[in-house]
Amino acid sequence: MAQLDPTALDLPLVAPKRSIRVGRIRVPGWLALLLRNSKSRTGLLIVAFMVFIAIIAPLISVAHPNDFNILATRQAPSWHHLFGTTDQGSDVFSQVVVGARRSLLLGALAGALATLVAAALGITAAYVGGIADEIVNLLTNVFLTIPAIPLLIVASGYLRARGMWTMIAVIALVLWAFEARILRAQALTLKNRDFVLAAKASGEPTWRIVFGELMPNMISRIAAAFVLVFYVALLVDSGLEFLGLGDMSATSWGVTIYWAQVNSTVLQGEWWPFMFPSLALGLTVLGLVLVLAGIDEVSNPQLRTEHKRGRLARIVFGRAAA
Amino acid sequence: MRWFARRLCFYVFAIWVALTINFLLPRLMPGSPISGLLQHLSPAQLAANPGIVQTYEALLGGGHHSVWQDYVTYLHRISHFNFGISTSNYPTPVSEVVGRTLPYSIFLVGVAFILSFVIGTGVGMVAAWRRGRFTDSFIVPALMTVSAFPAFVLALLGLYFLGLKAGWFPIQHAYDNDVIPGWSWTFISSAFRHAQLPILVIIAAYAGGWVLNMRTVMINTIGEDYVGMAHAKGLRDRRVMTRYAGRNAILPPLNGFAAQFASAVGGLVFVEIIFSYPGVGYTLQSAVLGNDYPLAQAILVVLSVCVIIANLIMDVLNFVLDPRLRTS
Repeated sequence: MAQLDPTALDLPLVAPKRSIRVGRIRVPGWLALLLRNSKSRTGLLIVAFMVFIAIIAPLISVAHPNDFNILATRQAPSWHHLFGTTDQGSDVFSQVVVGARRSLLLGALAGALATLVAAALGITAAYVGGIADEIVNLLTNVFLTIPAIPLLIVASGYLRARGMWTMIAVIALVLWAFEARILRAQALTLKNRDFVLAAKASGEPTWRIVFGELMPNMISRIAAAFVLVFYVALLVDSGLEFLGLGDMSATSWGVTIYWAQVNSTVLQGEWWPFMFPSLALGLTVLGLVLVLAGIDEVSNPQLRTEHKRGRLARIVFGRAAA
Repeated sequence: MRWFARRLCFYVFAIWVALTINFLLPRLMPGSPISGLLQHLSPAQLAANPGIVQTYEALLGGGHHSVWQDYVTYLHRISHFNFGISTSNYPTPVSEVVGRTLPYSIFLVGVAFILSFVIGTGVGMVAAWRRGRFTDSFIVPALMTVSAFPAFVLALLGLYFLGLKAGWFPIQHAYDNDVIPGWSWTFISSAFRHAQLPILVIIAAYAGGWVLNMRTVMINTIGEDYVGMAHAKGLRDRRVMTRYAGRNAILPPLNGFAAQFASAVGGLVFVEIIFSYPGVGYTLQSAVLGNDYPLAQAILVVLSVCVIIANLIMDVLNFVLDPRLRTS
């Protein structure tokens, strides 16, 4: 699922104080911090570019993504069809551009829902402690043990309608454990801080301490966890669509790759119907991974170093490779 | 020993949860479970398999009893490894289909995942040890970029470039069509050749994660006093890297092995499908698309058990490597 799992996120907090302060800074503050780091800057640029493309998709797509044209099937990329055409003569460029909308939206919403569940459960469990904590911890570990992709495949096999919201709910339900583990561990380090104890002493109810005191102080960590689940959800969703188990009437990257696979275009030497949506997917994930790596470096100064790198390395990988 | 006992209890619990999810899934969907399943079937399928309705009824407890009664019957059946009849391979029992396909998957994911772990942690270790040098500035970003692509994209790319264009690897199936599976040399060499590209893809997909993980932990470890002490004693650089820093840094990645292996099993499903590799992942997809729920359920259970066994092995390894666990 997450091939790149920057588990550095759940290492013992090296500089918790700093990360809390990062969370308190106004929005431009954290953005500035992320933009100063070369990795997260590259990542943010990539993601922003993808989001931008998704927003202006109707303006730049040359044809309706599912329009077919028997006279123009299986065309290699050309000026007329930038990314070539599919077996049905649909324009791959339009499919990729319009598909970005659904793929990104679904990934982001599923990630947000999973984050919400994980934050509520993980932080509450850590704060309350005792038997509730044991139960949440146990559930988290169980969900991490049962392989998520096969579970999702079987679950979506039972679904009768595979609309967008259904897929979001199913994916979030399977992925929340990922984050809950991280957020619980981080909440544990916060629960005995003075401000939490003070809130407790003044008689604040549990839900107010969790949502009003702990969560705002962990906002940077929650955001990082969201980025992680965002790209995992993106991968999982396109994976399910690739298997023919998503909403196959929609236009998305996974669906385009699915049809490329079903029509065995790869075996016939047609690389464009699967290559372009795959590249878009991979690039987006890479961007999100870089953002995460940048967040790690910002909050863990030990990971940052000034490198002496050769000129070639700078040219090939840019500053992102640092 | 108490630690071990706790882990074992947890694994038993995890298997129970997996079984319960399997039991509940068809019942959570709106409507009666049987009609829900039958709705997916075409009249032709129903006509071709006269026993199919009974099979589903047996699978779901027939709908004549209470849910609890069904549940007990279900657990009883599973505890005797009776997963029912595979409807898409009617009348072959599910256990036979799984038994035929599982060895291929275990071979593929076992070899590939261990290799990716060894390569990934090795590269991560060297990259952290020699910060900013060749490994750190070329191999690490390259592996990271490759691993950012999902396994199914990498498999398609490998299939197209390495299999089809370059012609270095066979692109389909687990062995040549004219070879009969068995313990003969021709079969083993054929199977090995067909496994190369899938294994390569899984390594490419997962090595990056290990690199990132190991590098981060290793960087933190290098700052520890005992590493400086080992240097001060005049030990060779390589020895300090592997025996002092590396050995301690490998524990957190090893602990992350559980989640990563579960995710690699997911990647395996895609890789098998793309290479038409006759393992459980390939079978799972055709089972779900063909509405063969007994088979799909059994595969989910079997995969969960495989992940748990891998976890157990890792626990033992952890026990050997981490003295803190032995003393507590």
